[in-house]
Formats: sequence, structure tokens, C-alpha cells
Amino acid sequence: MSHPNTTAMSKVDITKVKPYGDTLNDGMIQMSFTLPVPDGEEAKEAARILAKKMGLDEPAVVYHKDLGIGYTYFIVYGKCQHTVDYSSIKVTKVEVDVMDRLECEKYIEDNIKRPVVMIGASTGSDAHTVGIDAIMNMKGFHGHFGLERYHGIEAINMGSQVPNEELIAKAIEMHADAILVSQTVTQKDVHIANLTNMVELCEAEGIRDKVLLLCGGPRISHELAQELGYDAGFGAETHAEDVASFVLTELVARKRI
Amino acid sequence: MSLLDQLKSEYRTLSIVGMAKNSGKTTTLNYLLEEAFDEGLVLGVTSTGRDGESTDLVTGTDKPKVYLFTDTIVSVPDKLYALAETGLEILKRTEYRTAMGNVLICRVAESGYVQIAGPGSIREHKRLCEEMLAFGVDMILIDGAIDRKSIAAPETSDAIILATGAVISRSLKVVVEETVHIVFLYQTEQLTDARALSLLQDPEEENFCVAVIDDEYDMNVLSVRTGLGAGPLLNDAIGEHTKYVYISGAFTESIIAGIDPKKFSGFTVILPDPTRIFIGAIKWQQLRKKGFRIQVLRNIDVAAVTVNPFAPSGYAFDRRELRKNIADALPGIPVYDVRMGGFDTDE
Repeated sequence: MSHPNTTAMSKVDITKVKPYGDTLNDGMIQMSFTLPVPDGEEAKEAARILAKKMGLDEPAVVYHKDLGIGYTYFIVYGKCQHTVDYSSIKVTKVEVDVMDRLECEKYIEDNIKRPVVMIGASTGSDAHTVGIDAIMNMKGFHGHFGLERYHGIEAINMGSQVPNEELIAKAIEMHADAILVSQTVTQKDVHIANLTNMVELCEAEGIRDKVLLLCGGPRISHELAQELGYDAGFGAETHAEDVASFVLTELVARKRI
Repeated sequence: MSLLDQLKSEYRTLSIVGMAKNSGKTTTLNYLLEEAFDEGLVLGVTSTGRDGESTDLVTGTDKPKVYLFTDTIVSVPDKLYALAETGLEILKRTEYRTAMGNVLICRVAESGYVQIAGPGSIREHKRLCEEMLAFGVDMILIDGAIDRKSIAAPETSDAIILATGAVISRSLKVVVEETVHIVFLYQTEQLTDARALSLLQDPEEENFCVAVIDDEYDMNVLSVRTGLGAGPLLNDAIGEHTKYVYISGAFTESIIAGIDPKKFSGFTVILPDPTRIFIGAIKWQQLRKKGFRIQVLRNIDVAAVTVNPFAPSGYAFDRRELRKNIADALPGIPVYDVRMGGFDTDE
């Protein structure tokens, strides 16, 4: 290993990873939840039994608070008995050499030599713009400027609750190179139906092989994107440069310049 | 005669299209693979999504893996190649890019479990199928993804197998209705009017999206790049002499909402194929009652329907009842139960 043996890793069996509390492999977990029962000894016992059923050893209710109208909030400690084989985990990620904003701008100048059009929206019933705003808006998020700030990228953010049809109509009108679909908060997997509907409409409109179709959101993974028929999927902690780098390198790789 | 043997004589490329997620597409695929092995057929297998992973990415439930026999030709992207549990011989590295890397065309060297995925777009799929056929397969099976139905388009495959099941609804009646709706849509009448056909298939007029044809066969091409959002514009263009309205792309509820229902009885909507229809079963019935008519340039051959009486959320229908109800509603189309009795139709 390249790391010196100064961390806990030195004693860890990475084929049997367990939560760490005070000592290695003690399995300690803290969790919080609400039960629809009034606060009291019965409620505490219910929380403890529930934690036991989840497979936690020595569950202890360390905090409980009446939330009013017969609901109680709990914090429970317990010891997890399960382990994970970290060495066997394979996650498919968007694999692209991430360029910063200035590198992206230079890449466009050198390789694409025309403005790149990206259209984004939070679609369907989703009213949350936080995801698409973080990627597209000028000020960006957490010190990462959004796509609007990039020279050479024409970024159009259509906002929230945009019907798929409107997003596609706009993409056709603007000759978009990429469509960014954001799904932040959804219920009962409605985002899945909404995302596949988007792909199907793109196919029907005959533009699927002319645009890069990207989706993003806390419940989106790159693997899911493949299954849904998207070119890439971005989860939480994605910034504008990740999206821009992917789109720009794909445009060149697919010879859409 | 087995189902596959029947199909083989008629079709080269067959898509498995799901009514919904977990409607039994992969089970259907596995059944056909096994049958092909028994018959000594060499199959090509590809997927519009991803197939063969053991856990469902959305619901977290177990999924059937895909077992491929020796000599099957299969499309596997770079990143899934390493995950195959058997030997794969790479025949060709293609240019098709997917979220999982470039697609490889492989020959299965030794029977085993393989994760399959193919290009995202239907057009690329069509080209991929041609490349796979060139490697000498008897037949190609394209497995659909989730509820994506665009793979049913007649330009991609010769026919489809529609997978339906309990997952669609807890009500058997709704399952039957929704399934019948899709089959009826796919069997939409084809345009036979030679004069209209020649107008629409004129190679020099390739790039129009929306057009109106009157009873003298004069065609008025609307200056829009998509039919989406063009409902009101279309409404203005439809007059009392309008005979046909052609839309090259998606035909959605918002387009039809822009057109005055009083005009429905005067014209027929023409679409390239039934996969362009994005209108739900109930709305569709309402439209038909108002006199709405539709034809397509090419419809879809539904070779068979498979039913899965189990839903992953834990409920199930009586398998005989489900199969019988759907079979009764779809005369002329073989209906099979993939989970229980395999493909026996005689019960």
C-alpha cells in the first residue's frame, strides 16, 4: 500500500468492514427516526424493539422527544453485526478527466470552435431547482461557478416543473448539444417514469442520437443512467465542471463538433 | 413446435418490450435463450438498458440473471466486460458509446452469466443489429429496458414480444385494459392511400415535421421544427377540406389538446409508427369516441404476449385467470405465462 500504516486502515480487514464508534469493529451506529405514537415508556420500548428487529445488537434509546400530536422522535444507538467486503465493490462512475472552468473554455476554443448549447431543467412534478441551479447558474455552488459563467457554453436553465415536451421543444429550437435533466425530490419512483418518458420522447422526435442526454439528482447514479437510456448520470456532489468536462469530451469523441 | 422455432421462420430481429418495470422481460429472454439452445440456434443478444445484474437498481429486489450459452453473440460495454462471469471473446470494438463504456461485440466462449448492455439510441441499435447479423446469428433478441417502448419501432425490429404482468396494477381488469390498449395501438391501421403515401415518402421532402394534406392532395408543410407545442398552430391549419395531418415526431396529449375536437371527424392523423403515440389508455378511448382517427406508415407486429402473474411488491394473480383474460381479449396473438408453466398454451 502506498499509504503509511499510521491510520486505522492498518488493522482493518477490508473484506469485513464494520462501522467504527469508539474502537475498531465495535459496529456502533447512531440513527434517528420518528414513530407515530405518543412519547412514553411504551414508545421507548417500541423504538428499542424496532432497532433490535433491524439487526442491531444492544439497542439503546439515548434520546426521545415528544413532537406533539402523538408523534415521538428518537435517537437510538446500537451495534451493527453485518460486515461489507469493501475489496469486492465495483462502482461504475462517470469516467472523465475533469477540467476546471478555464481548461473547459480552452478545450472548446481548441477542439470544438463553436458555442456549445446546454439546456437544463428540473422536470415533471419536481419543483426543486437547487440541483440544476447549482450546475447552471452563474454563481454556481460552493465556490464552483455554474455553466452560465463559462465562455463558449450557452447555458439555458428553464427552471422547475418543466414538462418533458417543453424541454425537448426548446432543445430542438436551440440545436442543443446536451440536455440536463434534474430530479431532486420525487415520490414513489415517479422520477423513473418521468426520466424514461423523456428518453422516449427524444426517440420519437428523432433527436436521441443528436443530443447528449444527462440526468442528475441525489437518487441518480451512472449505472441507473445506463438502464434508463441516458448518456450519463450524476449524483450528489457534482459540480458544473464535472458536467461540462463530460459533455465537451463526449462531443469530441462522438465527432459532433 | 416451440415458440422460437415459429418466430425464427418469420423474423430476424425480435424486441422484448415491457409494459412496465418488472413485467418479466428478462424471464422471457431467459426462456427464449434456453429454447434456442435446445433447438441449436445461434442467437445475438443485446439490450437497450442493462441486463443480467442481480439486484434491481430502483426497487432493490432480486432480478433474474442472464445465462448465455456458448457461441451466443452479445453486446457488452467495456465496463461490464470485466464483470462477466464467463469467458467472452471480443469480436469487434464498436464506436457506440454508452454510460458503461464503448460497446463490444463478443462471442460467448463458455456458457455462463453475462451482463448485457447496448447503445442508448434506437438508431445505433439498428446498426448494431446489422453488425451482429453479419457474425452469422440465426436471430437477434433485443431486450428492452424498464417501460421504454421506443425499441418496438418497426425500423429496429421485425416484431416484438410484449411482456406484461401484475406489476402494472393490483386490479386484473386494469392490467388487461392497459395491455390491450398497447397491443391495439401497435396494430394501428396502416395508411394505404397511395397518393398520400407518395407525398409523405417523397425523398426531397424529408425534413418536415408537421404537414396538412387536403382532399385535393395539396400538402401544406408547417414551418416548425417539432410538433411539440404546435397544437394551436396545427388547429389553425386544419380546415374543412383537411384530409390528413402528418406528424413525424411525438404525438402527445398537449398537441391534441390544442386542436378543436369538433374538427376530429374531418381528418386522419398520420404518424410514422405507433411508438410516437404518447397518450394514455383512458384519454385514447375518449378521443376515439369523439371521432378521432389515426393511421401509421408502418405498424408493429406483436408476435406474442408474455404474462407475469407476480409483482415484486408481493401480490400475485391467479396465473390461469390472467393468461386467459389477456388471451381472450387478444384473439390471434399467442399469450404465454413465463413464470409458471413456461410457454404451454394448452391448459
